[in-house]
Amino acid sequence: MNFELDEEFRKLEELVNHFVEDHLYPLESRVLEREARGEGAHITAAERETLDSVSRELGLWGLDAPEDVGGMALPGVALVAVNEAIGKSVVPYVLPPDSPNLSMLAATVTEAQRERYLAPYVAGKTISAIAISEPGAGTDPAAMATTAVLDGDEWVINGRKIWITRADVMDFAILMAVTDKEKGSRGGISAFLLDAGTPGLRIARKIPMIGGNATFELELEDCRLPVTALLGEQGKGFAPMQLRLSTRRLEMSTWCIGIAQRALDMMLEYAPQRHTFGSALSEKQTIQNWLAEAESNIHSARLMAYHTAWKLDQGQSVRREISMLKAHATEMAWTTVDRAMQCYGAMGMTKELPLQQMANEVRLMRIYDGPTEIHKWVVARDLLSNR
Amino acid sequence: MKVLVAVKRVVDYNVKVRAKADGTGADLNNVKMAINPFCEIAIEEAVRLKEAGVATEVIAVSIGDKSCQEQIRTALALGADRGIQVETDGSPEPLVVAKLLKGVIAKEEPQLVILGKQSIDGDNNQTGQMLGALTNMPQGTFASEIKVEGDKLNVTREIDGGLQTIALNLPAIVTTDLRLNEPRYASLPNIMKAKKKQLDVYTPADLGVEPSAHLTTVKVEPPAERQAGIIVESVEQLVDKLKNEAKVIS
Ligand SMILES: Cc1cc2nc3c(=O)[nH]c(=O)nc-3n(C[C@H](O)[C@H](O)[C@H](O)COP(=O)(O)OP(=O)(O)OC[C@H]3O[C@@H](n4cnc5c(N)ncnc54)[C@H](O)[C@@H]3O)c2cc1C
Repeated sequence: MNFELDEEFRKLEELVNHFVEDHLYPLESRVLEREARGEGAHITAAERETLDSVSRELGLWGLDAPEDVGGMALPGVALVAVNEAIGKSVVPYVLPPDSPNLSMLAATVTEAQRERYLAPYVAGKTISAIAISEPGAGTDPAAMATTAVLDGDEWVINGRKIWITRADVMDFAILMAVTDKEKGSRGGISAFLLDAGTPGLRIARKIPMIGGNATFELELEDCRLPVTALLGEQGKGFAPMQLRLSTRRLEMSTWCIGIAQRALDMMLEYAPQRHTFGSALSEKQTIQNWLAEAESNIHSARLMAYHTAWKLDQGQSVRREISMLKAHATEMAWTTVDRAMQCYGAMGMTKELPLQQMANEVRLMRIYDGPTEIHKWVVARDLLSNR
Repeated sequence: MKVLVAVKRVVDYNVKVRAKADGTGADLNNVKMAINPFCEIAIEEAVRLKEAGVATEVIAVSIGDKSCQEQIRTALALGADRGIQVETDGSPEPLVVAKLLKGVIAKEEPQLVILGKQSIDGDNNQTGQMLGALTNMPQGTFASEIKVEGDKLNVTREIDGGLQTIALNLPAIVTTDLRLNEPRYASLPNIMKAKKKQLDVYTPADLGVEPSAHLTTVKVEPPAERQAGIIVESVEQLVDKLKNEAKVIS
């Protein structure tokens, strides 16, 4: 058994930490000011361009992308270290290309789709969204009502999608729709590649969310797609989606570990300096418990993340592990950030410190890509079915 | 021109070092190790010389147990062409290091040897000077700028009174000061490439050196904790305290 990350990946982690400290932290106060002014927590196009050019120069590009499309194809364990470092900053920047749909696309595209969608996506030239959730189908995608009906050599799509991130800037979306009502979620749901601007596709509204974020509601009315828009096999939209969700949930969990680590580091910095009733906060047992529990929770989540990533790298199923990890990492980050805010007192409530924005980000992650309760349910069902 | 650069594995400069409870040394348990910052500057300077077409080959050498290969590979990732480890138990004293480096110089015959002015663990500031004495090569210590001109090397040195520029005949030894350059970060492709670069391992015997110690560490303990200072209200009060409490003036 070996608990140490390979030397080159430790060096990669160090490199990404330098990148975060030298290039992301200096932008934080600007991002926080923008959010406080109601402009959303964003970076400008010029700032993004600078960050992109630095990350390209450092070779921090396409880390998770397959080699045949110009990526580095690093193993999942290396990405755990990378994403933990990236998660520490509230600057909304992930190493390019920002490609949450990569693994799903890579596993399903045809040769023609590889050229048209995957290659530019990996090169960071396009942005994609994923449209699964509907007003009546969130945690339970089997309740999906959006339909795709074959009409000659075209699929005709009708329905509504909601909470879709990046729908305003996307070049294309991966859309899930029912192709066989009878079969439902057991072989009746398919995935499609939907280009922005396809006639019949309309952004119905922008929905502001906490922390200066926003998602979108989409309307699809007789939206016609060529047969070649089908992604993967008909009726088998869910399996590759699980692949997307696994890598995405792993990524998200490691961001949460980074966020919790930052909150702990901030407590460790502040608690010895702040004195009340004649002694430092760091000498109060309650605060010490927070520190010890934060460290224990971060450590356990990190071990879970590395183990889950390692299993994924071995090609093993991580169904139970990924659910345990997503629930644990998001919840422990929530508690840790909350305690850091409490430790900082009124200062922890300000929009000058990143803590409240870290809390907002974690709050969202406790919902999207499966709320905590659902992941616990998956684990429990899995345990019970094995008896 | 061949450039030899010495690099040392030390505790990372961000780490707050603690003495071991039994006083035998610094507590290195769970402590992050890194390349000595002055050595990093030395590597950077050599790589810049290579990029400028002045140096033809940059060799990184480290002395220590197997773990120092990690710092050699860091140097390779930063742009050194190949590495040499001289295998010893732990980290020997400056004179032994200088003798071993002399052995490496005899094998490699570099035109320029760059070292850090000191390493941040022992802060000895001795190895470069000892190496100069042992090899009879001219030395330019505390360099904040170096320039190769033909078979001469102009070195700007940071000295107490300001800057001093000296000209050395090559081959020569240089030790780096903080302002010589700002080292780059190794990019990911270079980190990956470093794995495949040549790294030779020598024993002291291969270099004809018997590493005998002249120094023993008696005890390592933290400096006494300083008492908190106070702010005096007037010059009179200050003079009074200096006279009557600190008794440093009369
Ligand atoms: C910021 C953000 C971005 C998003 N981006 C996208 C996107 O890009 N594309 C997309 O398709 N979707 C997106 N979503 C939607 C997200 O995937 C859904 O919100 C999520 O799946 C939950 O669905 P729901 O909101 O309909 O909750 P519901 O299904 O209504 O569930 C509500 C709550 O009920 C509880 N609950 C439900 N079922 C159970 C159960 N079986 N046992 C116990 N408790 C249960 C849980 O606590 C759950 O939080 C996004 C959401 C957010 C917040």
